[in-house]
Amino acid sequence: MKAYDETDLALSFQALGADYDVRVPILLSDGTRSLGRLEEGKMALAGGKLGAKPTSVFFPQMDLVFQQKGTNVRMQAPPSKPLMVVGLTAQDADCLAFLDRFFSTNFKDDLYRQKRMNSAVVVLSGKCGRDGEMLRLSSGNCDLELVFDGDRYLALAHSQTGKAMAEKMKGGLETDEISLGRLQRESKALPDDELKLLQRASSLLLDNKVPEDFWVDISNRCIACTACNLACPTCNCFDVFDWKCGDSCVNRYRLWDSCQLDGFMREASGHNPMGTEALRTRRRIHHKLAADVIRWGQMGCFLCGRCDEVCPTGIGIKAVSREMVEKYG
Amino acid sequence: MSITVEKQADLKDPQEALYRPLLCKMVSVKELTPTEKLFRLERLDGRPFGHRPGQFVQVSIPGIGEAPISVSSSPSRGSYLELGVRRTGVLTGALHEMIQPGDVIGFRGPFGTYFDVDAMKGRDLILISGGCGLAPMRALIQYIEDHRDQYGKVTILYGAKSPIDILYKDELAQWVTSTQLNCQYTVDDVPEGTCWDANVGLITQLIPPLDIDPARSLAVIVGPPIMYRFVLQELKKKNLPINQIIVSLERYMKCGVGKCGHCTIEHLYCCMDGPVFWLNDVINLAGAL
Repeated sequence: MKAYDETDLALSFQALGADYDVRVPILLSDGTRSLGRLEEGKMALAGGKLGAKPTSVFFPQMDLVFQQKGTNVRMQAPPSKPLMVVGLTAQDADCLAFLDRFFSTNFKDDLYRQKRMNSAVVVLSGKCGRDGEMLRLSSGNCDLELVFDGDRYLALAHSQTGKAMAEKMKGGLETDEISLGRLQRESKALPDDELKLLQRASSLLLDNKVPEDFWVDISNRCIACTACNLACPTCNCFDVFDWKCGDSCVNRYRLWDSCQLDGFMREASGHNPMGTEALRTRRRIHHKLAADVIRWGQMGCFLCGRCDEVCPTGIGIKAVSREMVEKYG
Repeated sequence: MSITVEKQADLKDPQEALYRPLLCKMVSVKELTPTEKLFRLERLDGRPFGHRPGQFVQVSIPGIGEAPISVSSSPSRGSYLELGVRRTGVLTGALHEMIQPGDVIGFRGPFGTYFDVDAMKGRDLILISGGCGLAPMRALIQYIEDHRDQYGKVTILYGAKSPIDILYKDELAQWVTSTQLNCQYTVDDVPEGTCWDANVGLITQLIPPLDIDPARSLAVIVGPPIMYRFVLQELKKKNLPINQIIVSLERYMKCGVGKCGHCTIEHLYCCMDGPVFWLNDVINLAGAL
């Protein structure tokens, strides 16, 4: 096993740029971090999870579906180089695995999959959270994991792609696995109160123990800003629209959509199965904690915490789950 | 209802051009009512559409967009596809106003589940539709007519708002006079001055007089959302079990392939797990009916 400092890693990512379109966490002028190319700013690996939806690399907010000129339809071309994304947390990688399955089951979504196929995902874990906070180690839903021990990043390959990447990395010092073992134990010892809370909320929903009044109460605090959906790494709803780009030329795009908007399910006839704020609020939580459990065998929330952080009125999924469990057990 | 879920995504198998519209030609356009037209389409490559009664296609007009439209013709009638379309939204408006015979438009599909014509074999069938619910039901009726010896008694009930709103008037008249079918229809209301000598009232009033053998009957319901609850109440009075009732549900859809999320009913995707459901699969789901 090798351990790398940030300089080694920057050189390594540059070298891997021969094979990949590399995206790393970049420090922005306001002090926040966002995924970008190495030349776009100062790489900032430490600092915890990225603020924006990390899965947007593969499922962008707006994505060209095709361009049609007359009867000639040209689909979006696949990326010239596969993507390599550095900086997801272990939870983000679990979210990505959830999306992988969603976009690959039954009908296979080529727009997503052509970006995801042959791509590489590098998770950051260990003591690289905000102010050195311990980030949970990955469950293996990535190609390469860089575990920060407070001094260097230990490189842990989880796939053949990850092994190949590790071989091409520059610098690094051989190290024993004692440090990794210590970090793994620390990761396992992290509190799981929030997971238990979410599981309890999920059970309440699956057992139909949450009355409609609860959703009316929560929805009265929702301003339908849709920030929760836009930040959530597993939210995958989209709208489709056409944009005229010249005579007989049309671009068709898909664009993230939000189940919190009144028009989300409204039909042309006027019928709206989610015609109240309460029904829409219920849908946002119920879909992640109950519907996804029935359909996919797992919750659609991996406790990344983004919706709770961006919600201006404090009704992110953790806050709602807490309130639900306090009221109904 | 069983849902197939892969344990892990396989990101290495071949891709499909899932959202690429194929091209078809508008063969004919026929006015059904002041707000509904019947469009007949044929694929440019001459191949059949491969649809089954109950399915829908995503109709695509460049610059306008896409919309899901139920297929209203049976594959047993030929390789063409007929769509009975009410003018309600942007795309259906464009279909009505802009598209002429000979024009080329796009389509994807057919998509969705279909009426289980095998499960219906040997059964007495009660086919209940309201408003433009007759569009997908017509595909099933045509299929049954073309395989009539495989089914028991066939009863068709249809309700429209008023005489002017009645769809497929010529075929309806044939079904009424057919010795192979028991077809009745009604209108909710008759405007003053309209000549009308048939039933007036809600479709639910056509059910009580029916002689239904619950042991051998199967009902199919397609109509506006408000209709289901009241029709189901009447069928319950006839002791028809819910596992012998099929419903077709209407939802807003953007993709037709279970990705965009607009048509979810709890854990189900109406476009992919439906639009045709066995009633017992959806009756307890919030917002389904």
